[in-house]
Amino acid sequence: MKQTLITGNEAAAWGARLARPQYIPSFPITPQTECIETLARWGADGELPNTYFDRLESEHSVMSAAVGAAAVGNRVFTATSSQGLLLMHEVLYIAAGMRLPIVMATISRGLSAPVTLWSDHNDFLDQRDSGWLMFHAENNQEVLDMILMAYRVAEDHKVLLPVMVNMDGFVLSFTDEPVTIPSFEMVDKFLLDYTPEHTITPDRPVTIGAVALDEYTFFRAQNHVAARNALGVIEQVQDEFEKIFGRNYDLVDEFMMDDAELVLITQGSMSTTTKAAIKEMRADGIKVGLLRLRIIRPWPASAIKEALKNARAIAVIDRNVAPGKGGIMFPEIVETLYYLESRPLISSFIVGLGGNPQTEEKIKEITHKLMEDLETGKSRVEWNDVEES
Amino acid sequence: MQEFKSIKDLPEIELFTGGSSACAGCGGTMGLKLALKALGPKTIIVNASGCMTLLPLYPTTPLKVSWIHNAIENASSTAAGVRHGLDMQGHDDMNVVVYAGDGATYDIGFASLSSAAVKNERIIYICYNNQSYGNTGFQWSSSTPYGSETKTTPRGRENQIGTTFVQKDMIKIMGAHRVYAASASLAYPVDFLNKIERAKNRKGFSYIELLGSCTAGWNYDSRLTIKMSKLAVHSGMWPLYEIEEGILNLNKDFKELKPIEEFLELQGRYKKLPAYGVQKLRSLINQHWTELKEYNGRRYV
Repeated sequence: MKQTLITGNEAAAWGARLARPQYIPSFPITPQTECIETLARWGADGELPNTYFDRLESEHSVMSAAVGAAAVGNRVFTATSSQGLLLMHEVLYIAAGMRLPIVMATISRGLSAPVTLWSDHNDFLDQRDSGWLMFHAENNQEVLDMILMAYRVAEDHKVLLPVMVNMDGFVLSFTDEPVTIPSFEMVDKFLLDYTPEHTITPDRPVTIGAVALDEYTFFRAQNHVAARNALGVIEQVQDEFEKIFGRNYDLVDEFMMDDAELVLITQGSMSTTTKAAIKEMRADGIKVGLLRLRIIRPWPASAIKEALKNARAIAVIDRNVAPGKGGIMFPEIVETLYYLESRPLISSFIVGLGGNPQTEEKIKEITHKLMEDLETGKSRVEWNDVEES
Repeated sequence: MQEFKSIKDLPEIELFTGGSSACAGCGGTMGLKLALKALGPKTIIVNASGCMTLLPLYPTTPLKVSWIHNAIENASSTAAGVRHGLDMQGHDDMNVVVYAGDGATYDIGFASLSSAAVKNERIIYICYNNQSYGNTGFQWSSSTPYGSETKTTPRGRENQIGTTFVQKDMIKIMGAHRVYAASASLAYPVDFLNKIERAKNRKGFSYIELLGSCTAGWNYDSRLTIKMSKLAVHSGMWPLYEIEEGILNLNKDFKELKPIEEFLELQGRYKKLPAYGVQKLRSLINQHWTELKEYNGRRYV
């Protein structure tokens, strides 16, 4: 185990390398490029001895090749961003429907048009209903750790679903952070050999991806059940991860929540900024805490309800937008809390699209607005960086 | 390498059982049934969405080999994943075979096909060409020949020809990828299966295109599939040739081509094609045939 300064892209590449995938199909896109370049370089240097590093002509083909290799029993890794993730969209459903435990790092970047290279979560959340499990990392260490845990969850026979691990483009992908890289021995202890249940071999004909008529709904329901099963599996895997690597993770990340009356809900790297702002606001006597959504699918409803049971007012801070509707995670939180006996006030804030800076000042501003809302008893849906007109 | 001399040499093995959802007389289905004789049981078929996708209908399948269907535009990249996946598992004795229609090959799946060919992946790609989007009910694809009527290129008052475009020269394009590229016909099963044998023994990518006549779309009597296939070859509508390392080899040479009318008259899709359309079609075919004859045995691409 060694600690070193690496970017989020390199952390993802390390996560993949340590998991010893047999097949890595690739296509470059900013800001993911450095991740697959790192893997390509290792491959050229003979440091990925049991891995075939492949280059394809599009992200659609990358995911298609991933499906092909996973269908014959390979452990597969790939990575993408933004438009590339959208180009894969069709095949993401197919990978999930075929129950293939592919793991993919997604490096969030806003979507065209206009073109932006900078981060927001619309690309990632656009895949919300594809049947993939969706993890969202806050920092580079978590990127690496989540990829290792993702394989354990994906390959569990109660689950058998693909997983995407998201990080914020540039904020993490190109920023050096200290990351503890575990040894292969430790990872081998944690990540058992993958033994697929239904796979194609020369001696056993298998049909994958057939047409199903009335049974279609049955297969979709199995997909849903498997995703729900994943909640328990994730908890088990997190416990085992802690035993081996000493780092502890929960379904949701809580910060200064013990006596928090105001709760800010975030995803990804802006949680770090939010934590810093909360520390300062706490010094001013404001009872504010943070709930970070680490696991987006499966949806950890019980953990979220438990964490929010004492909250009086909640600000869902969405770094994404469903135009004509609002933030994407806001209604998910509202729905989760709807059946509580005493419901907190919930406001929605859309911030940080296309890399728009996430500052402590903005977080404080949101918190003060939330305090106003608590006084007036009226929630709001607000676009933080621009005036809606 | 095994070489079949006559139809009596063809393997008796049947890996395509009776009872499928395909149309009677379907050229694509007959092609798959025939191909599997040469391919044998250690084969995985990678299918692109199309007519053949309806063969395995959950929970049944008429096939005794492995099968994976992903989507329409990605059979080649899926096959690349399967190929490397099998190689990583030590199963390099398995044939990875794409079986895809012309729409999935010429059009929407062309990028992934070209990519797999350029990388010379060890894949046998068989395109069953029914000259249209068959499964959706016979619409124009870029392999639809000039003068054919389709649902999206109908003959009408403004356009008496139907399809006014000339189809893509796919075998030449694939030949230019420096892979093995060949045409094949159901009427010449020995030639077809020998081409598969050659592909099986190659270390890289092979592209074989079979004329897979479509009874419903071409609108002909389903008993006539073989006759139709034979007429297509004899009239120059579907010449049999191969390109390897850029060199052309004409497999069936004729001193004189049969008139195309005999082939056209059997089918509904050429009905009411005006004389000037037939003439243009004839000249296109003659032009292609002359070119093939001229380059026979020489560098073509």
